[in-house]
Amino acid sequence: MRNSKLAGITVLALLSAAAAAAQEGPLPSGSVSINLPKDSPVALLSLASDPSRTSMRGAAMVLDLHMALTLRNTGTARIRGVTLRVVSQEVAMGGKGSVTIPSLNVGPGDVFPVRIDMQLVRPTQIAGGPLVVVDLDGVLFQDLSFYGPDRLNSRRYLTACEMEAQRDREHFKHILAQSGKDGLKQAMVASLARQAELQPLTVRVRRGGAAVASAALAGGEHLAQFAFLQFPGSPVEPVQGFAQVAGNEARAPMIVVRNASAKPVKYVELGWVVGDAAGHEYLAGSLPSPNLTFYLPAGNTARLEQESTLDFSSGGQPVSVRQMTGFISQVEFADGKVWVPNRQDMENPMLRKVLAPSAEEQRLSDLYRRRGVGALVEELAKY
Amino acid sequence: MGHPNLATLALYAGGELGALTRWRMERHVARCERCRAEVEAFERTRQILPDLAEMPEVPWNRLAAEMKANIRLGLEAGECVRESRRLQPEWPRVTGIRAVVALASVTALLVTGMVLERPAPAPAAGDDSLVVQATGNGIQIRKGGQVLRLMNPNGMEASGQVTYSPDAEGSIRARYIDPQTGYVTINNVYAQ
Repeated sequence: MRNSKLAGITVLALLSAAAAAAQEGPLPSGSVSINLPKDSPVALLSLASDPSRTSMRGAAMVLDLHMALTLRNTGTARIRGVTLRVVSQEVAMGGKGSVTIPSLNVGPGDVFPVRIDMQLVRPTQIAGGPLVVVDLDGVLFQDLSFYGPDRLNSRRYLTACEMEAQRDREHFKHILAQSGKDGLKQAMVASLARQAELQPLTVRVRRGGAAVASAALAGGEHLAQFAFLQFPGSPVEPVQGFAQVAGNEARAPMIVVRNASAKPVKYVELGWVVGDAAGHEYLAGSLPSPNLTFYLPAGNTARLEQESTLDFSSGGQPVSVRQMTGFISQVEFADGKVWVPNRQDMENPMLRKVLAPSAEEQRLSDLYRRRGVGALVEELAKY
Repeated sequence: MGHPNLATLALYAGGELGALTRWRMERHVARCERCRAEVEAFERTRQILPDLAEMPEVPWNRLAAEMKANIRLGLEAGECVRESRRLQPEWPRVTGIRAVVALASVTALLVTGMVLERPAPAPAAGDDSLVVQATGNGIQIRKGGQVLRLMNPNGMEASGQVTYSPDAEGSIRARYIDPQTGYVTINNVYAQ
């Protein structure tokens, strides 16, 4: 009897000690600040952050933030996309995040939810002021006009998403008109199957000193050349490109592109596919042109290059890079218009294997999966 | 300075030596090709470790339940054994110390379970470079011991419905359909 009492006290004491060590608690008030401009076309109706907590893990403080925002379209135009910028002044110096909701169809006066789930790990010292600031980076409207400071190039990204959305809605509307609901069903089933078969690739991007040190130690580093997929309608053509490759690392990619259009270009993005020795291919990521300095007049050539190191793995195993293929995935002209590949371009057998569908195709196929072809037909009819 | 042992080299690679020892190691490693190669090998291993540490969808609750069930089974099995021992009084009885040791073991298991239940903070990169990457449950930017992570909704990873898109400029996107809002949601972290 005395033993069992002693054991009970021991258990309680140990559990109490463990709980005290965790030092969990709610977020301090004022931890999150939501800043929307006075003339913003969206207004904050509510913010819930109840499950958010702080806890100590060793010498670090972990902040789990779960925010549910409800926004209202207070403007007069339909909203197609929104980007919120998420900044922590003290964590990951120079780093920031964003949450984008593309493929919206929010009319004036309508409300829509945005969820932000984030975690910060930081030294224990807490300075004054909000830990996280959320502000509006931009809103894209139905007519492709834009509102916002655009510090994260949301205008271009949301416009590209909307161009892809229009392209894919037209594609599925065409299938519906040509082949009826059965044809649309088949297209959706094929899309879902393709999404399920995509081979995930884990990519880590490093910028800064470690990239050079890491590359320097890789004895087998060599200059590897890109092959290219050419799209007939692309305003920009890839000419040649290289990257330093060692094992599963690729460093300092450089691509020469030529503006084949009649208009100056201010942004080019190249999709990057890597293949391993076993013949598997993966979408590694993209190589964007530098944002501030890039300007490519009609007929001219320019270089896209980044001083970064990417390493690739799949299923926890390094993916040794044996071949690299590039294709132009996005172009923004100096007048703000955006080009994206068309559906025929995307039918390339390699791209079909590695490229995820657009956000809109993902949304439409998910709608089909959850609610059937009738709901999908209704949805397409709204546009 | 002679060749340091492997443990010291490993600590040096992880930036965990004191200032004086680190200074001496820097001087040595700068001159010694063999030790430099060892340090570089440790650094490569450390870079892989964060990925290995990510076990995104490990069902801790289920594991904890299984552990508890196993403990219960063990205790019940112990009771059966104890019954048979009662029939054999010549065998030594369970003493108070033994009971305390057994309870302490169970307590240690419970505390371990509690610790494992909590997600561990990302380990330090081991250098001051900015690293952006997908983790088991979201995307993150890391510099040293500081991390900013945008999380996917619970369970998204297991369903394979998250698409990651890194770019060579130093950002990465995670795209999914939020099960609560029903909207396509794209998280992005930027190193710039």
